[in-house]
Amino acid sequence: MDLENQKRVKELTEKYGAENVIVLIGAAEGEAAGLAAETVTAGDPTFAGPLAGVQLGLRVYHAVEPEFKDEVDPEVYDEQIGMMEMVLDVDDIIDEVKSIRDEFTKFED
Amino acid sequence: MVKEIERAGIPVVHMCTVTPISMTVGANRIVPTIAIPHPLGNPKLDPNEEKALRRKLVEKALVALTTEVEEQTIFED
Amino acid sequence: MEKIRVVHYINQFFAGIGGEEKADHKPEVREGVVGPGMALNAGFKGEAEIVATVICGDSYFNENLEEAKKEVIEMVKKYNPDLFIAGPAFNAGRYGVACGTITEAVQQELGIPVITGMYEENPGADMFKKSVYIVPTKNSAAGMRAAVKKMVPLALKLGKGEEIGSPEEENYMSRGIRKNYFAEKRGSARAVDMLVKKLKGEEFVTEFPMPDFDRVEPNPAVKDITKAKIALVTSGGIVPKGNPDHIESSSASKYGKYDIEGVMNLTSETHETAHGGYDPVYANEDADRVLPVDVLRDLEKEGKIGSLHRYFYTTVGNGTAVASAKGFAAEYAKELVADGVDAVILTST
Repeated sequence: MDLENQKRVKELTEKYGAENVIVLIGAAEGEAAGLAAETVTAGDPTFAGPLAGVQLGLRVYHAVEPEFKDEVDPEVYDEQIGMMEMVLDVDDIIDEVKSIRDEFTKFED
Repeated sequence: MVKEIERAGIPVVHMCTVTPISMTVGANRIVPTIAIPHPLGNPKLDPNEEKALRRKLVEKALVALTTEVEEQTIFED
Repeated sequence: MEKIRVVHYINQFFAGIGGEEKADHKPEVREGVVGPGMALNAGFKGEAEIVATVICGDSYFNENLEEAKKEVIEMVKKYNPDLFIAGPAFNAGRYGVACGTITEAVQQELGIPVITGMYEENPGADMFKKSVYIVPTKNSAAGMRAAVKKMVPLALKLGKGEEIGSPEEENYMSRGIRKNYFAEKRGSARAVDMLVKKLKGEEFVTEFPMPDFDRVEPNPAVKDITKAKIALVTSGGIVPKGNPDHIESSSASKYGKYDIEGVMNLTSETHETAHGGYDPVYANEDADRVLPVDVLRDLEKEGKIGSLHRYFYTTVGNGTAVASAKGFAAEYAKELVADGVDAVILTST
């Protein structure tokens, strides 16, 4: 996750509290999605940004995950994400992000 | 890339800033340049001076191309 | 055993100072850990401790090798460390060269053990693997954890002055050092064993890999430059404005061939750079700063060169695999020959 966004997430979390923040990511493949998810939970794994060594433990989801997909208007979802859903390796992304979340997110819901 | 061009039989001069890298990749004719983000320029100079600087470097490159070399050679000033 | 004191060297990016626009950052030193040092420190589990971190911009270091080396060594000396670690640099070329250069210098001038890490294809690897211990890493910072995991044990061994085993056992790039040892079987028996395996088509491991020099003999100089057709090639990623062929800013999968017939000068309206590995501002303002079309056109007009070839070839050198670059060049070199080009000026950033 780039440095600017790391900074934003950190500041928003400090302002509103970790329990009130959800991070929604849109990376195009598993590895990138995993890195972004890890950054906002266990800390920046590349140690290059403001979240290096900072464990926010936030709830993080990828836009193609059912937890998000099921909560939103299916028509809007189809319009905005439908195309990408067809070309992305959705299973790989879900696996990556879910496993990071299961291991590092502090909230159990 | 420099080696492939040389392999094809065309003399080639490598103009680059970090000359040790050029040596490692095997360039035979090397001309050191100004800086990484602007090898053939210097934004601190006024446009005419900058062009004159660029010309000097390119002329050095031409000298390198017309000089016989046996081994890797850096053409400094 | 007292804690091993370590000084760590990183670049401006990993220090969180900034990206390319801060690559000219002069050397500075901070107490304790910064960025990736956190991971290394955690890995040391109390046996060693990073007491200070030296930070230096990649462009500053590479453009001022002697100065920068001196400045950094002074900073390191003050802390009187038992071990010096640089990077890991992954595939960042300038960073890898800086890490290799500074570890070699510290080893030489301060006589303390040193270690660094980078991707096999990083130019710094070929340049320095013979003189310092370089741990091979993945090609991007996504491999940070894995890199630290490999670097920590070797670093601790070096810090404790223990004997270092073979590259395979200890995870570092082969240094070309030959160590004598007593084998169980005599040489002739081992040679025959190897030959039998080879004849049978089975796998065998050579005891002495022949070094791959791959040097190409320089071509004869151009006889009459005033009649020569010169072509421009660049790894600096200069492309027509808009990057119509979408050459990637890093790990390029292709090269471009563009027509500059009748073009006397590159401007911010007509050309830009696609390269993501250096600050693009100057090249975008005036691409002649990387691909000197304006000057070559002048020389052409004045009769100092025969002509400037109408096509230039470009790709992005940032993190692009050696095999890819080789492939591009082998292909377009054929076209250059077919087009009667007499000489090439290849510019890099």
